[in-house]
Amino acid sequence: MSAHATTAHNEELNYLNWKTGLWSWLSSTDHKRICFLYLFTILIFFFAGGAAALLMRLELASAGPTIPGIVKDPHTYNVLFTLHGVFMIFLFVVPGIPATLGNFLIPLMIGAKDVAFPRLNLFSYYLYVIGATIGAISLLHPVDTGWTFYAPYSTTTGTSVSLMVFAAFVLGFSSILTGLNFIVTIHQLRAPGMTWMRLPVFIWASYATAIIQTVATPVVGMTLLLIIAERVFGAGIFDPAKGGDPVLMEHLFWFYSHPVVYIMVLPAFGVVGEIIPVFSRKPLFGYKMVVLSSMAIAAVGFIVWAHHMFVAGISDFSAIFFSLVTFLVAIPTAIKVFNWVSTMYKGSISFSTPMLYAMAFVFLFMIAGTTGIYLAMLGVDVYYHDTYFVVAHFHYTIQGGAVIGLIAALHYWFPKMSGKMYSETASKFAFALVFIGFNLTFIPQFVLGMEGMPRRYYDYPSQYQNLHTISTVGAFMNGFGYTFALANLLWTALFGKVKAPRNPYNSVGLEWQTASPPIHENFPETPVVDKDPYHYGTPAHV
Amino acid sequence: MSSHAAAPHEVAPGDPPHIHHMDSTTAYGAAKLGMWLFLATEILLFAVMFCSFAIMRYYHLDKFHDASHHLNLLAGAFNTAVLLFSSFTAAVAVTNAQRGDNRGVVVNFGISILCGFIFLLVKAYEYSEKAHHGMFPFVWNSNFYEYKNFLGIYFTMTGLHALHVIIGMVVMFIYGIRPAMKNRYSGRYYTPVELSALYWHLVDLIWIYLFPLLYLVG
Amino acid sequence: MLGLLGEQGSDFAHKVDYAHDIVTIISVVCTVAIVGTMLYFAVIYRQRDGRDHETPMIEGNNLLEVIWTVFPTLVVIWVAYLGYDAFIDMRTAPADSMEVNVTGQKWAWDFQYANGKKTTGELVVPVDQPVKLVMTSRDVLHSFFVPVMRTKMDVIPGRYTYEWFRPIKTGDFQVFCTEYCGDLHSGMRARLKVLPKAEFERWLADDSEERKLASMKPSDRGQEIYGKQCIACHSLDGSPRTGPSWLKLFGKEGQLVGGGTYKADENYIRESILYPQSKTVAGYEAAANAMPSYKGQLSDDDITSLIAFIKTIDGTQKVAPSQPAAPKALDAAQLAAMSPADRGKALFNDPGNMCYTCHSIDGSRLVGPSMKGLWERKSKMSDGTEIVSDANYIKESILKPQAKIVEGYGPVMPAIYEGKLKDENISDIIEYIKTLK
Repeated sequence: MSAHATTAHNEELNYLNWKTGLWSWLSSTDHKRICFLYLFTILIFFFAGGAAALLMRLELASAGPTIPGIVKDPHTYNVLFTLHGVFMIFLFVVPGIPATLGNFLIPLMIGAKDVAFPRLNLFSYYLYVIGATIGAISLLHPVDTGWTFYAPYSTTTGTSVSLMVFAAFVLGFSSILTGLNFIVTIHQLRAPGMTWMRLPVFIWASYATAIIQTVATPVVGMTLLLIIAERVFGAGIFDPAKGGDPVLMEHLFWFYSHPVVYIMVLPAFGVVGEIIPVFSRKPLFGYKMVVLSSMAIAAVGFIVWAHHMFVAGISDFSAIFFSLVTFLVAIPTAIKVFNWVSTMYKGSISFSTPMLYAMAFVFLFMIAGTTGIYLAMLGVDVYYHDTYFVVAHFHYTIQGGAVIGLIAALHYWFPKMSGKMYSETASKFAFALVFIGFNLTFIPQFVLGMEGMPRRYYDYPSQYQNLHTISTVGAFMNGFGYTFALANLLWTALFGKVKAPRNPYNSVGLEWQTASPPIHENFPETPVVDKDPYHYGTPAHV
Repeated sequence: MSSHAAAPHEVAPGDPPHIHHMDSTTAYGAAKLGMWLFLATEILLFAVMFCSFAIMRYYHLDKFHDASHHLNLLAGAFNTAVLLFSSFTAAVAVTNAQRGDNRGVVVNFGISILCGFIFLLVKAYEYSEKAHHGMFPFVWNSNFYEYKNFLGIYFTMTGLHALHVIIGMVVMFIYGIRPAMKNRYSGRYYTPVELSALYWHLVDLIWIYLFPLLYLVG
Repeated sequence: MLGLLGEQGSDFAHKVDYAHDIVTIISVVCTVAIVGTMLYFAVIYRQRDGRDHETPMIEGNNLLEVIWTVFPTLVVIWVAYLGYDAFIDMRTAPADSMEVNVTGQKWAWDFQYANGKKTTGELVVPVDQPVKLVMTSRDVLHSFFVPVMRTKMDVIPGRYTYEWFRPIKTGDFQVFCTEYCGDLHSGMRARLKVLPKAEFERWLADDSEERKLASMKPSDRGQEIYGKQCIACHSLDGSPRTGPSWLKLFGKEGQLVGGGTYKADENYIRESILYPQSKTVAGYEAAANAMPSYKGQLSDDDITSLIAFIKTIDGTQKVAPSQPAAPKALDAAQLAAMSPADRGKALFNDPGNMCYTCHSIDGSRLVGPSMKGLWERKSKMSDGTEIVSDANYIKESILKPQAKIVEGYGPVMPAIYEGKLKDENISDIIEYIKTLK
């Protein structure tokens, strides 16, 4: 894939500086600037959610009250894990890669000037801000339900559930509009020659993600509204005391909240599929199967939700059905991993920071995926359900998958986004902290799960003491790692001296064929695509 | 969605607006695809309610049956007819726009909006009737305590639908009537009229399911 | 094989563990193989001297794709079967199961046996006998998890769920609540005691307490119930605890939260016991949410007895607190032969004293501070002072619980031990506390 040679144009004027002033950013409909708006906002909540997590870990460092000055009672702890979940999921990971890198890259990678509906894009961002603000207001009387908002606890507790749930509804609306925008963009705005089978896998992953966002989010939106109706008017749909059905609420909730993990992790798959070929100088192995597996995961993801409910009182028959279909997810996921590894075969592999993150991703996701098998197995899940094993598995998929994917992507596309080159030494040091800290945090939690430690416990019997302490140490290391990695990027973006060339990795990706950073409308003239997306290496002599 | 709809100043009446990042054919396709996707999300929103209705009805079959007899069947049937007719005029308005008949758009969308008002008035009458009998939303008069699940679903679903009626009316006015009064539409450009009508059809369609479920099946 | 999940207490536990072992082996082998291949490629195909070498343009291989689609498919079908096999066992209770009714409520587990015997926080079952738990909840979702039995089931208000197990060994095991249920979720635990059959039969048939209750006159029976269920929050002498005092309660009139008045007649008291949140006395807004519903927990007879008891609390006669029952299993001679610390332990665990209901010995937080490490611990009091818990302090805390309150805890401990526990009893308890390091 290559763009037509760009004609001479003003190298100095790019999307970052063609207009200046704060308002030019806050009112910009340029997809690349909206990427940055999202990035800064979601990172606020990443650190807020992270702080909540570290406080939890500190409290759990020893049995009994550990930091009574801060976490003064179990209620405070319950608030902390709720905020951690709500912030990380609704405010950070769901918009994580799609709203930031999806925004930045989709038009660039398909050779478009912008997304299909630029103003709707900005509107989505402000919906996100409104949702985040409502969520922040609810902190005056913070929610203690857990991010799952299970009824009837959520419909009867005295905390401001209605506000937080409404915030999640607004955020969901923002997510729907973003997904809708991306689907239309990918359908309508591909450059001449950019056929479906020439789309980079990141685009395919974003496309599958956007479909899930559009189809699943309305369901949770309405469910959240019904929780409000239950609390404010006593609508009698979820609360058994009023004749409602709490298990129905669980079904509706997981109908969204299972696919939502694919919203989080599919784009990260896409990122890894972009990074490995470039740093191996090889075409992506089995491109069609990788594409197909993304779509398969998105499709199968919709019919597996009740595997969160094997012990929730569903019938044995549905448990068996949902267990079987859940195993189907393992197959396309395995296909992806095999293809990524095979891409490295006979490559010319260099170990820049993005490649290290991508390889770490493969390792972490192997653990995430194989531990997922335990949880799909009926008999074993009965034991593991709602224990620390689930917590650890979930964090391996979402942190080891989605967050590591986001950090990898931020490093990989950083030269394009900012026009600067970051320090490899600093970023590799941060990588080591993140990688070691992450495993140190969550491997002990697998063992805790094996020993039966239930999740969402403010306190625990002393037999679990040592593993909890190790996990706490790891969590702080992990937290420092992320802070260091992001601070390194921020510092480079603001004060870095080394200018990034147009195509520092010698990639064939379309986004690398325009200037770094790109001009306002991306390409001086519409590119024409005439090659496959990963055109690396020398064709074999037959 | 309708972000394409506002007309930049330089465009002659009847021509598609200039959009910097795509040509007008692409813009038309994009807008239509976007709208259909949006309608799909709306249907999924209501799907949750239909699903809840089915489950609640399964649990409280007798109560649902009895409670539905307390609904005003005549008012419901009348409202169904009103919405069906308004959908027809909305469809005519699209044809008008395609033929460049801006006056026709104003008249037919006007009728649709009027029908919307009538629908809301009848709905308000039904609500007040319920309130009068102590079946007001969610304040459980002990006489009707046993109907609470039906009433909870009834008021949530019709309330949400009424909100969509209001949104549909506003959309038809802003993107249909107002530009048409300035002779904005022609055979070359009528996207907002078509999309507004699509949205109105959805509002109608949801009612077509709500009416038999709530009033007839119970 | 691998024994990763710990002790096996039920007859299907080995199936769960077998499935777990198989998938562990598969997982480790696959992870090592794939990550190992990746690292191997990374090493041998690494870029040398900072320059790219020529790479072949390999775009894929259909045979490989077929292999690594079919192979995982076969593996997961096998693994799915293993999971299914263990699951079906744990969902099919044998017909001869002994049924126990389980009720969850914030934040305790109640158990009731077929003969009417009730326990709280302790499920006693015979070994080698299938036990089917028929479970429901009084308030929100809970989940009944017995790790050693490998079984777990959500407990849902308004419907019944069940789980069963056949204990294969005697012992004392942990039960957790694993569905988040609010503030004291982590404190919602119970013990599972598996006894030899004969011992269980004796335990089950021991209805001395119930019979004693049945033969009592109503006000005495009410007092007995008060001593077990109500004493922590309601005083008899007009002193404030979490809830209103019962002194001269009957016939009292007063203000309700949100306007309105109440008159404490029989129906009002009954309603307050069954539906604590329906009417809240002004000034006790916070307490109303703390009081659980006793619907299903107290019978009509119990409530009538309680009302009869409340009628007697008119301030004219001093009501003696419920007398501690002598430890049943131990006679005086046995007690005398024990070490002081063991005697203290017996007193601590005596149902008549109920220390254990509010004070844990493992460091976990219940209603009151844990006894673990209490001896000579420095604690901050609600008035800001720091106090070392020595013998005098502990003695004072037992006899006059309201004198000093540890920061973060409510003044809810009843002052019922004065006269009930003698000095030597208290020093035994202190000896026991010293052992809880």
